[in-house]
Amino acid sequence: MPGEYDVEFVERGDREARFLVRGATPAFANGIRRAMVADVPTMAIDEVRFIENSSVMFDEQLALRLGLVPLTTPPEGEFVEDDVVTLSLDVSGPATAYSRDLVSGDALVTPAEENVPIIELKEGQRLEVEADARIERGQTHAKHQGGVAVGYRHLQRVEVVGDLEEFEDEESRIVRGVIEDEGELLNAEEFDNDLAKRYPGKEVRVEDVPDAFVFHVETDGSFTVEELVTRAADSIEARADELEEAVQL
Amino acid sequence: MMVPVRCFTCGSVVGEHWEEFEERAKEGDEDPEAVLDELGVDRYCCRRMLVSHTDLVDVVSPYQ
Repeated sequence: MPGEYDVEFVERGDREARFLVRGATPAFANGIRRAMVADVPTMAIDEVRFIENSSVMFDEQLALRLGLVPLTTPPEGEFVEDDVVTLSLDVSGPATAYSRDLVSGDALVTPAEENVPIIELKEGQRLEVEADARIERGQTHAKHQGGVAVGYRHLQRVEVVGDLEEFEDEESRIVRGVIEDEGELLNAEEFDNDLAKRYPGKEVRVEDVPDAFVFHVETDGSFTVEELVTRAADSIEARADELEEAVQL
Repeated sequence: MMVPVRCFTCGSVVGEHWEEFEERAKEGDEDPEAVLDELGVDRYCCRRMLVSHTDLVDVVSPYQ
């Protein structure tokens, strides 16, 4: 694709970020979004062997819960498909089994969230399991989705075009996402999503900026936002290369 | 029975907040809205996961 990208962060955290991409087509923006949701592989528990389960839940229910616990995903290339990391859990009641009780066989793959309750055990109940974690893509199961609530919006440019008439009622003008005001980027939440509060007594015009997208990305803790976006871009590149190779004569 | 690990709709991990939410808002007398805001559970899909949940382990456990 011709042209250059320009990426600018509006908010930046480890697990949640908002950034602006300029110079991308809608198709490319959506491609990145889809890659973040479905094509970036993450680790998750995939197979569970129950040694003892006298809790109130069935084996299958517990296996699902274990699968949904996010695990830290090692750097790219450390693991390939079908590699297995074994985690074990052994808790006797009365106690609650938490995700932090999972003992991993590999320091690179550990529960990303420590306080997720797996099951509450009463007196005399016990849970002992061995679980295999695999690296897979979000396409196969939602537990392998690294990106949570990934989305984008057009960047909106706000321009003051004049004053309101003196005795005119001020109506609220609600906008969402991020606005651009004379080159300055502002999250609409900062002025309560209401342009009438930011520009009292003014008449404003709002228009979408072409080819500028504000992404909002959250991760489940498997990796940082930065890692997720880079891996998503890499996965698009890899598929594009594959296609190029496949159609060559 | 137990709190869902993740939000059904968006997939963010909500299970970890349950115990604090229960202690402060369900058993305590804090405003659930304020507690959820503080816990960082922002979206309404995730909020309903905690607000509408009831633990049933104590109800079922006598019938093992």
